[in-house]
Amino acid sequence: MAVKKVLLYPDPLLKQVCTEVDVVDDEVDDLLQDLVDTMVDAGHSVGVAAPQIGALRRAVVVDVSHSKLGKKQKNHGLICMVNPEIIEREGETIVREGCMSVPEYTGNVTRAERIVVQFLNREGKLQVLRSEGFEAIAIQHEMDHLDGKLFLDRVSSLKTDLFRRKK
Amino acid sequence: MNHFALTIIGRDRPGIVSEVTEILFKLGCNIADSSSSILGGQFSMILIISHPEYTDRDSFGDVFAPLEKGNLSVFLRTLRPGGEKHPELQGELCMISVYGADKPGIVYQVARELGQRRVNIIDLNTKLVGEETQPVYVMMLEAVLPEGISVDDVEGWMDSMKADLGVDVSVRSIMAVEL
Repeated sequence: MAVKKVLLYPDPLLKQVCTEVDVVDDEVDDLLQDLVDTMVDAGHSVGVAAPQIGALRRAVVVDVSHSKLGKKQKNHGLICMVNPEIIEREGETIVREGCMSVPEYTGNVTRAERIVVQFLNREGKLQVLRSEGFEAIAIQHEMDHLDGKLFLDRVSSLKTDLFRRKK
Repeated sequence: MNHFALTIIGRDRPGIVSEVTEILFKLGCNIADSSSSILGGQFSMILIISHPEYTDRDSFGDVFAPLEKGNLSVFLRTLRPGGEKHPELQGELCMISVYGADKPGIVYQVARELGQRRVNIIDLNTKLVGEETQPVYVMMLEAVLPEGISVDDVEGWMDSMKADLGVDVSVRSIMAVEL
């Protein structure tokens, strides 16, 4: 399909709540492909959410397998998610996040360490997967975009208050 | 556009930020980066500001006099061109915590170890905590490691210092991720 321009804040589309997808049809498939193409084009970033390319639908793609950090951890490679929902979350971890849509700023965000996420896959089938580490963080970050939330809304501490909690 | 570094310190009370920023706003100053915090009982503000016309300290006249009357100390420094730009910091980020029974020289000795090895400290906080009879010193810093230096190396240097200083030290890399 096509590489799309990643919208930058203050584009108002980034603060909208996205609508659910009823059927994973060709149009949704095209959207997912655009998301993948855009992610790969952006120096293989680890994920993109539909609103970041101006589509207010509940769809995200995540792939941490090409990133320095993700490579070392368990991951599912490319995941295309439609109507994703986190049905279980466990543990807490603090990550310093940045976002393609908010360049040059990072902040410490608290995320669940492990999640179980349910979504429709590219074939429109309901799928459930368990994720942890960097991949789980990326999924949570991308899913926030679907509710118009940026990591700026979740910053939990100022820079030097970073303590990594280990279980 | 000229940039200035403005520092304001005084006994903490509600309203300091609003008094300072009201003056800046009315002058037509822009606040770029800033950081403010309570240290001891003092509220301290450090701001990089700019003004489209002002060129030096004198341009500001006595606009800060009301703050000084309110027991705040005000310092203003004119930055040389480019001094407002954040440098491109390359290298691994790490966080170091040093804490232990209070004694002279903790900050200096840790900073010397790092400085000698060209580790760039970009953020540093220290706090004296604990009971009056048993004061504990806590130091947290963030640093950018030069090329070829790993978090393990830093841990190694810190280990040998631990015993001499009688402090606990931990070093960890900061995972900064762009998503």
